[in-house]
Amino acid sequence: MPLLRGRVRCRRGVERARFQDAQGARPTRPRGGIRLTINKSKYDLNVEPNWTLYYLIHDVLGLTGSKQFCDRGECGSCTMIVDGKPVLSCMMLAIECDGKTVETVEGIADEGHPLIEAYAKHHAMQCGYCTPGFVVTSKALLDRNPDPTGEEVVEALAGNICRCGTYPQHVIAVKEAAAKLQVEKAAGRGQK
Amino acid sequence: MREFKHFNAYSIDKAVSLLGHYGDRACIIAGGTDLLGKMKDTILPTYPEAVINIKTIPDLNYITQSDGMLKIGALTTLAEIADSEVVRSRCLALAEAASRAASPQIRNIGTIAGNICQDIRCWYYRNQNNRFSCLRKGGGRCYAIKGDNRYHSIFGGSVSGGCMAVHPSDTAPALIALNGKIKTSSRIIDAESFFEVKPVKTTVLKTDEIVTEIQVPEPPIGTSSTFLKFALRQSIDFPIVNCAAMITVSEGKVAGARICLNAVHVVPYRAVQAEKVITGKSLNETVAEEAGQAAVAEAKPLEHNEYMVAVARTLVKRAILACAG
Amino acid sequence: MSKQSEIETERMVEMFDNLRADKYPLKEFKCIGQKGPRRVDGLAKASGQADYTMDVQLPGMLHMRFLDSPYPHAKILKMDTSKAEKLPGVTYILRYDDPELPESENLGFFTVFQNDKPLDGIAHFEGQPMGAAVAADTEGIAEEALSLIEIEWEERPFNLDPIAASDPNAPLSFPERYMDGNHWNRGVLDEDIHGDVEKGFAEADRVIEFKITRAGHTWIAPERPCGVWKWNGDCAEIWLKNQRGYVAKRYIKTWFGGIPMDKIELHMPYQGATFGGWTHTDWNLGGLYCAAVVSRRTKRPVKYVFTRREDFYGSSMDEGIYFVKVGFKKDGKITAVDGTVYHVNAIHPAYSPLRHLHENTRIPHLKGQTKSIWVNKGPAVAIRCEMLMPVLVQTMVMNRVAAELGMDPIEVALKNDGGQGHDMDWLNEQKKERGFEVRDSLKECIEKGKAEFKWDKSWHEPGTRKLPNGRMHGVGFTWTHEWSDSAGTGEIAIRIERNDGTATVLGIRCDNGVDAENSYCQIVADELGMRLEDVHYNPRFDPGFHTNSPDSASSMSINGWAVRHAARILKQKILESATSPTAPTQRGSYQPAFRNTKPEDLDITDSVIFVKSDPSRQMSLADFVRRMGTQGPLANLEFQGVREAWTEPLFAYGYHVQLGDYNPNHPREKFCRQAHFMEVEVDTETGEIFITRIVNANDVGKVINRMSCEGQQYGGSVMGMSRGKLEEVIHDPATGIMLNGNLIDYKVATIKDVCPIGTILVETGMGYGPYGVVGIGEDIATLVPALLAPAVYNAIGVWIDEFPITPDRVLKALGKI
Repeated sequence: MPLLRGRVRCRRGVERARFQDAQGARPTRPRGGIRLTINKSKYDLNVEPNWTLYYLIHDVLGLTGSKQFCDRGECGSCTMIVDGKPVLSCMMLAIECDGKTVETVEGIADEGHPLIEAYAKHHAMQCGYCTPGFVVTSKALLDRNPDPTGEEVVEALAGNICRCGTYPQHVIAVKEAAAKLQVEKAAGRGQK
Repeated sequence: MREFKHFNAYSIDKAVSLLGHYGDRACIIAGGTDLLGKMKDTILPTYPEAVINIKTIPDLNYITQSDGMLKIGALTTLAEIADSEVVRSRCLALAEAASRAASPQIRNIGTIAGNICQDIRCWYYRNQNNRFSCLRKGGGRCYAIKGDNRYHSIFGGSVSGGCMAVHPSDTAPALIALNGKIKTSSRIIDAESFFEVKPVKTTVLKTDEIVTEIQVPEPPIGTSSTFLKFALRQSIDFPIVNCAAMITVSEGKVAGARICLNAVHVVPYRAVQAEKVITGKSLNETVAEEAGQAAVAEAKPLEHNEYMVAVARTLVKRAILACAG
Repeated sequence: MSKQSEIETERMVEMFDNLRADKYPLKEFKCIGQKGPRRVDGLAKASGQADYTMDVQLPGMLHMRFLDSPYPHAKILKMDTSKAEKLPGVTYILRYDDPELPESENLGFFTVFQNDKPLDGIAHFEGQPMGAAVAADTEGIAEEALSLIEIEWEERPFNLDPIAASDPNAPLSFPERYMDGNHWNRGVLDEDIHGDVEKGFAEADRVIEFKITRAGHTWIAPERPCGVWKWNGDCAEIWLKNQRGYVAKRYIKTWFGGIPMDKIELHMPYQGATFGGWTHTDWNLGGLYCAAVVSRRTKRPVKYVFTRREDFYGSSMDEGIYFVKVGFKKDGKITAVDGTVYHVNAIHPAYSPLRHLHENTRIPHLKGQTKSIWVNKGPAVAIRCEMLMPVLVQTMVMNRVAAELGMDPIEVALKNDGGQGHDMDWLNEQKKERGFEVRDSLKECIEKGKAEFKWDKSWHEPGTRKLPNGRMHGVGFTWTHEWSDSAGTGEIAIRIERNDGTATVLGIRCDNGVDAENSYCQIVADELGMRLEDVHYNPRFDPGFHTNSPDSASSMSINGWAVRHAARILKQKILESATSPTAPTQRGSYQPAFRNTKPEDLDITDSVIFVKSDPSRQMSLADFVRRMGTQGPLANLEFQGVREAWTEPLFAYGYHVQLGDYNPNHPREKFCRQAHFMEVEVDTETGEIFITRIVNANDVGKVINRMSCEGQQYGGSVMGMSRGKLEEVIHDPATGIMLNGNLIDYKVATIKDVCPIGTILVETGMGYGPYGVVGIGEDIATLVPALLAPAVYNAIGVWIDEFPITPDRVLKALGKI
């Protein structure tokens, strides 16, 4: 049964006239907006200063794949890839992300990354709430290190908490995805 | 989070002038992993009116060598430092400290300056909604003294009657051991003199002063450095005790030693007694053990943190032995 | 109903409260027991498509947050919400003294010892959500509004320690309910008395006494507790994070003067885990109640959420202080155990601390008592699971005896295995009587576990093996029965779909990731003769059938029966229908799909119906059930030779009723066992413990979903070692305020903290579930925490009886501090 998923409009999205203080420091963009590329699509957005990147993407834009477990930078569930690096979106202000490129779990799934199937195949999830964070962090790992050892996988995932305790399966899933990527690369097939 | 004004500073001067204008009513934000947590939990009696982004200041992220020094821009991330070949070869303790801080994701945005300037983690101080209006916030008393002080200072408080909260940085003791300096928008300070305890502050920085660069001098030949961390978990956790050491050995004997513990006192704790023990001696298990004992000779543990004394003693010993190779 | 269906229905009734071995198992298994056929929810979860209650966004939706008591015991005298109401973005503030809020309401599972007020004016623990509920445009605004509410409080004295609180002169923790003191007992389950312990101690060669202290730990469910209420006219549409959808609906139905069942639409999205935590507190539905009231008043949907910190306010059913006395013979046989626990805040019947010793040993004399004490902390609920307490005691008792005698703890285990004070001969008789094959489950688990763990090479005298890295090496062992925590009812249905002949399983349940819906599909597939890929189950909507939930607590035994009954009844219906005239009308009917055959001549395999003696006569289920409906004259087509027949709907339901293991008068002897092995290295200078290996051997009776079972072994080991070594909820003793309600100060194991985990599944078939199944979901996480103690003892030669076993405790035990 499909969930109703209305888009929450940013009622207060119109940037109030930003002040110039006496010393003439420039505030955020005059139109009060930021430009973001999210999963290869370009967005032009008006954001409130107190919005985290997570809030912007999950609540405002309705990309609900990323999850929030702690909202304090202590669990890794909200991980997104920003300018190629896995970071905690709950601990970044959206307004400071002007010009950045963001990849979320949705984008990774859309491009058919082998991590998705590998995770499902090896049951590297139970409740699934931390899973998007792991998938994103793993994808960032494979982007920079296409053939990681088990230890390197563990190091890369050291900031992601899984309460259901599926840790052993993640190493297997990531290494299998890495192997698949190597095969795809060798065969000249890349991701879309 | 509540509302606040947000500024992007595009130069150091602009950041400084904004800070001058707002005084205590503004905070700078670099990586943000400390500040945003404090704001989300509204731990302090006042909430910042303005947040000044210094990531927009250009040319503060670099690792270079000049004038016999390793120079690291304030906005260089912990991950960049941990992965830097130059840092690893020149001052391993700093690279190791950076690599052990927090989590991989935090290290990708957390900056070196942010790591040394971070606020304390005391769970009375950090309880949400300013639930404990403690000495460190300008209130009346330190709640850790008679409370649960298992992670608090083993070397007494900042003043008589508290505050007992430890400094939580991993990189700070490494910088001190490496004889580093902190360059700010107005001066250069020895790392060892950079830390101070005042309400809501952990450094000597003035309200309108920001860190711009970390400097680590070229170590003499025969020097090695190391960093060890004790925490309950192998990742994410702040240190319960950590220890950085830089030891120079010449003709089989210690010619110079700088050993710094952290998370054991209100500021990083330079273990000068331990340094004295090993200076001029050959390093071995016995000497290292003695140095460890000396390092904690002045310990005044609280009701729940005596174990930290044993751990500190052990880390000093092991850091020394690690430098001995 | 056909004769065959009658037989299956009779068998269903016969199987209720199954007290014996499966009388009618399948002879062959195709999907059941296989490894990794598929994971139904895997792609959705890995790709971020799985929707959780926290993800629900509706137009105009308000966000509701609650006031948390700043004091451990306090009453609101006056509350002024005027400033809060003026904050832009605040729509409504519901007060505790609102006339519509009832004095008492049906809010959930066990209301007997809990608050039953949706919004109380008196707090009994710091952080208790009470007083006010604020609905605003965003959660952030609601939170800010809460800080603007001005309250005059009457602070009251409070208790945190159960022994101090049990003193008759201690202040009352909860005077509204327990006026005569802080000590209450609920009755029969709190005491286990068997034989005469004094006699047993007199007979013993040695007697020892010890005390155990276990700090409370909590569930830490990644998705915060939350729910959404939307009124569509007078119909309630609800999204709920809750393990028990049917329980929720049962209570929701009674609210507001009674909501008719057809006006409650319940969605149970994917659940970001609960482990039995928040769901068991009445407060979960209290929040929903407030959302419902505010939603009606504001005419907007309301999502209520609790914060990460609020989710910490509840802990485990092993929190307490235990006093244990054990008498034993020189050969390792235990003669008597006397155990009393001062147990904190249990919100529903607790066991005596000797429950497991009672159930699965031959110890003749036992006296166990639970003193349930109420202190000013959150409720202790059955988080994975309520057996934590008796399992902790069994581990410590068995291992202490072994240590005293210098014996291998495995030997002590085998010497004491049995049931209800009787030995293995007696237990084996029970197995025979109930139709089970007689197997020695503990021996089998031990043999397999020992071999994988290399126990014989690893075990040594305590405190004698120092490793080259300077650390002390130790190994530990523990065991108990494998339980199937299953009491309750389950109902489930199966429909063969038009158009493609697939089977849809129907039943609402909480999907929190144990892949149980796949397990039920495996049963259906094997029972019906279908391919697994043709059987589907989406448990997240409400078709009116309520399965026992959550499966993580081993509801497989109930739901497994129910779905099997449904499948067998359905299979008979299919075969009857296939051999009967179809679409009877007044003008006659059509030829059967299989002419001149009887149901017993047919079978189904790979989703194809076929004649057993001539398999070339076959028809796929898809062809058999045909397209959805039809319109227009059938007869015309018949004349043209087209068989536009119409098969009756192919649908069946099954259900199962089970008193299970909770009724002390109706015990089901426990035949299946589990054994666990742990290796540690202890740094004696820092007190750090490194867990280097865990091996689990669980006799699950019969494996249905192999990867799901292994997942429970991995997950349970991780949670177990985390609970044993790292986890405790910490309160400030002076103020009663929780100090570590966050994920940095409350420590959950990271991937770098875990070790290689061995997973062994033993299948003796001695479970009461279908095909001999018994549960697994709770077993490992409950047993592994205590296993750390004997492993550390073996490493350093000193017992540490305080949990979690943190470095300071190790150093203290070693005399270093």
